[in-house]
Amino acid sequence: MAKYFDVSVEDIFNTMEARFRVEGAKGVNAVLAYDISGDGGGKWLVEVRDDSVKVAKTDDLSGFSVKTSADAETFVGVNIGKIDGTQAFMSGKIKIEGDMALVAASAKMFTRYSLPKKSAVTVQGIFDTLVARFQPQNAAGLDISVGYDITGEDGGQWTAVIKDGKCALETGLRDNCAVVNIVKAKDYIDLILGKLDPMVAMGAGRLKLKGDMNVAMQLPKIFAKFEPPKEEEEQELIVIKRNISVDMKYSTGPVMGKFFEGLIEKKILANKCPKCGRMQVPPREVCAECRCWAGDMIEVGPSGTITLIEIIYYSSPDPLTGETRETPYAQVHILLDGIGTEETFWHLLKNEDLADTKKGDRVRPVWSDKRVGSVHDIIHFERIRD
Amino acid sequence: MKKHKKNRNVAIIGIGQTHHSSHREDVNQPEMIHEAVERALKDAGIGIEDVDALVHGNMELFEMVHQPDLWHVIGTGGYGKACYRVTTGGTTGATIVGVGDNIVASGLHDIVMIIGFEKQQEGHTTGGITNMADPLWARNLQTGALTGATAEKTINEFGADRAKRAAMRLRVTLDKHASLNPHAHRNFGLDYDQIDDLMVNSPQLVGELRLIHMCSQSDGAVAIILACEEKAKKISKKPVWIRDHVTVHREETFNMFGINENQEVTHHNAARKLFGRNGITNPREYFDVFEMYDPSSWWGLDWLREFLQLEGDEHLKMVENDEVSINGSFPLNPSGGVISTNPIGATAALRVAEAALQVRGDAGAHQIPREVKHALASGFGGTFWTVLFMLEKDLDWQEAE
Repeated sequence: MAKYFDVSVEDIFNTMEARFRVEGAKGVNAVLAYDISGDGGGKWLVEVRDDSVKVAKTDDLSGFSVKTSADAETFVGVNIGKIDGTQAFMSGKIKIEGDMALVAASAKMFTRYSLPKKSAVTVQGIFDTLVARFQPQNAAGLDISVGYDITGEDGGQWTAVIKDGKCALETGLRDNCAVVNIVKAKDYIDLILGKLDPMVAMGAGRLKLKGDMNVAMQLPKIFAKFEPPKEEEEQELIVIKRNISVDMKYSTGPVMGKFFEGLIEKKILANKCPKCGRMQVPPREVCAECRCWAGDMIEVGPSGTITLIEIIYYSSPDPLTGETRETPYAQVHILLDGIGTEETFWHLLKNEDLADTKKGDRVRPVWSDKRVGSVHDIIHFERIRD
Repeated sequence: MKKHKKNRNVAIIGIGQTHHSSHREDVNQPEMIHEAVERALKDAGIGIEDVDALVHGNMELFEMVHQPDLWHVIGTGGYGKACYRVTTGGTTGATIVGVGDNIVASGLHDIVMIIGFEKQQEGHTTGGITNMADPLWARNLQTGALTGATAEKTINEFGADRAKRAAMRLRVTLDKHASLNPHAHRNFGLDYDQIDDLMVNSPQLVGELRLIHMCSQSDGAVAIILACEEKAKKISKKPVWIRDHVTVHREETFNMFGINENQEVTHHNAARKLFGRNGITNPREYFDVFEMYDPSSWWGLDWLREFLQLEGDEHLKMVENDEVSINGSFPLNPSGGVISTNPIGATAALRVAEAALQVRGDAGAHQIPREVKHALASGFGGTFWTVLFMLEKDLDWQEAE
C-alpha cells in the first residue's frame, strides 16, 4: 500500500468512523464522495446521517452531496496537515463538485487524522544509556555477562560485560552469558518504563530468561532506572478570542425616511434632480452629478427590467443576523419603470426564479405583509411570467 | 490643463515590509508593524529620531480596534511625534502615502514615515467589508467585495471564451510573478496549461468570478519613509521621486454596479487628470512598470483599459500577448499584485513600495529586466476610491517645462 508522509489513503478512511464527532455533525444529512487517484487511491462514500457515519469503499459514487477529487499524495497531505488545503484547492490539485459548504463542515465532523504516536523511547536509546546507568557499588566482585535478545522491529542483540566494577556493552550475544533476556522490543520498552510488570510478562511468556535467574533478579540494582528523555511539548500560542455583538440604530433622515415610509404603503419613491432630470432610487439629498438639492419624490415602478443579475455561490454572512446565507441566491439590479435610463434599484431575486431568469426579464416586487419601513418590506423581486 | 506644481519635491528614501501570510499569530499588531518599521529605517539608514511625523492607516472594521495607532506606538516609534491616522477602506495604503507626500511637500514636515498594516485573520474580512456599506440600504444586500459584474460586462463585450481566457491568463501570469517575490503571501505554481481547467473547475463565487480570480486575505505591514528634496539628497543614494498623485472618488454607493456604461469610472478619471496635468500623452509608452491594485483578475483586466486609457480590446491583447508579464513591454505587478498579497491597510502602500523598488532596481528576483525610470502605482477601495501615483527615477521633469 503506497504511503505518503508515512500514511496511506486507506489509513485515513479506515479511521474515519472512529474520528467522527457527533457534536460536529448535528443536522447534517449528506453523502460525501471521495475520488482519490494514483497509487493507493480509490473511491469512497462517507454517509453522514445526523449522529451516525458510514464509510465504505465503492466503485459507484453516484448520489453524492459533494465530491472531492484529488491525487493520493495531496489527499493524505491535506488530511494530516502536511499540505495546505486551500493552496491545493486553489491550484486545482483538489477539485470539489457539489455543495462546497459541506467540505468546510466536514472539518468539524471529524477530528484530524494523527499518526499513531511512536514512542520517543527506543531500544537503542535504552542501551545507549546502559553503561552510564551502571552502579559499580552494587556490582562488586561480579564477573558476568548479561545478554539481551530484543526481538521484532527495532530490536537487536547486546551483551553487557561486567567485570572489576566496570561495565562494557557489546553488540551481539556472547556464548558465556550468565543470563539472556529474550523479549519483544515493544514489551522491553514497556518493561523498562515500568508499564509492564516483569512477573506478568514472564507469566505470559512475553519475557523469557535463559540462564541464571538470580542474576536476572539483581539487574534492577546493577543498573539504575532508565529515565526517558523529556518530550518537548509544542508551545501553544495564546490567542484571545472575542465575539463582538452590538445593538446599533441608524437615523434615516427626512429623504430616506420618506422613501421607507413609501415602502410601508407599497410605493417605491425616487427623487428627481431639478437641473439634469436624473432620478435617484433610493433617493438622496443631492443629485450626485449636479451637486444641487434633489427635488420632488416621484413614485416609480414597482415593476421593472433586470439590467444585471449576480448569482452568488459564496456563502456570505448576513450582517444583520450573522447567519450564513443559503447559496446560491441572486441579487438583481432593476431599471424600475419610469426611472429613466441609468439609476438601477438593487434587491434580491426570488430563489424559484434563479434558474431561468436573465438580463432583460421583467420583474415585480413581492411585498411583505408586515412592512415597517426597511429594505425587507420587499421580500424579493419575482419574474413576471404572464 | 494646468500643469501640476509641487511646493517642494518629495522622495521615497526607505522601504520595509514584513513577510505576508494568512496567519501571523506569532506576533501581535505592534510587533508585526515594528518589523516593517525597523526594515524601513534600516533601508533609509536613519533612526526613528530622524522621523518628524507618522501617518498610520488600516481598516478598523477588520480588527475592531479603535485608534490602533495608540496601541501601536511601541511598534511604530511614534511616541511624542506628530501622528496622523487615516482610513479610506482598501485605498488606505495609497491615501497614507498621499498624506505623507502632501505634508512633506507642504513644508510642514521634512521626514515622514507612513505605516499601513492589516491582520485580517484577527477579524472577518467579508463581514468587515459588508459593514462598510451604508446601513440604510446597501448593507442588507452587500456580499463583501465580491461581484461578478465586471466578468459579465467583459464577457458580453468580448465573448465568453476570449474574456475568460484573458482573465485566467492574467491570473496565471501574476501567480508566476508572485513566485519570484519572497514577501508574497500566496503563489500556487500555476501554469498556462491549467487555464482551460481553472476556467471551468475553480469554484464560482459570484457569477463568473471564481475563487482563483479573487485576492487573498493576508496579515502584514509596510512602512515607507518620505523626505523632502534637501534631506532626501543628503540621506539617500537612490531616492525615488513622487512626481504627482491624484485622488478621485464619487458617490457610487447605490449604483456602483449599475448600468450606466457611459459614466466615467474613477480609475479612468484619475488617470486622465494625472496624465493630463503632467503632459503624459501615451502612458503605455511612458511608464516602465505598473503596480496596480488588482482585487480580482477580472478587475485587473478591465482596469488596465481604464488606467491606460485604452480603446477596444487593446487591454485583452496586452494580456494575450504577454506584454504584461515581467519580461513583457509593459510589466504589470511584477510583485504578484494584490491577488497574491493583500493585507488591506498595507496593500495600496505596497503598490507604491514595490513600484519604488523597481525604480531603484532593488526588487530582487522580481526586478524587471530593464531600467525603470517611470513607474505607476494605483490604490483602490471604498466604492471606487482611486489614488494614482507617478514615481520617477530622475528629478528632471521640471526642467522640461
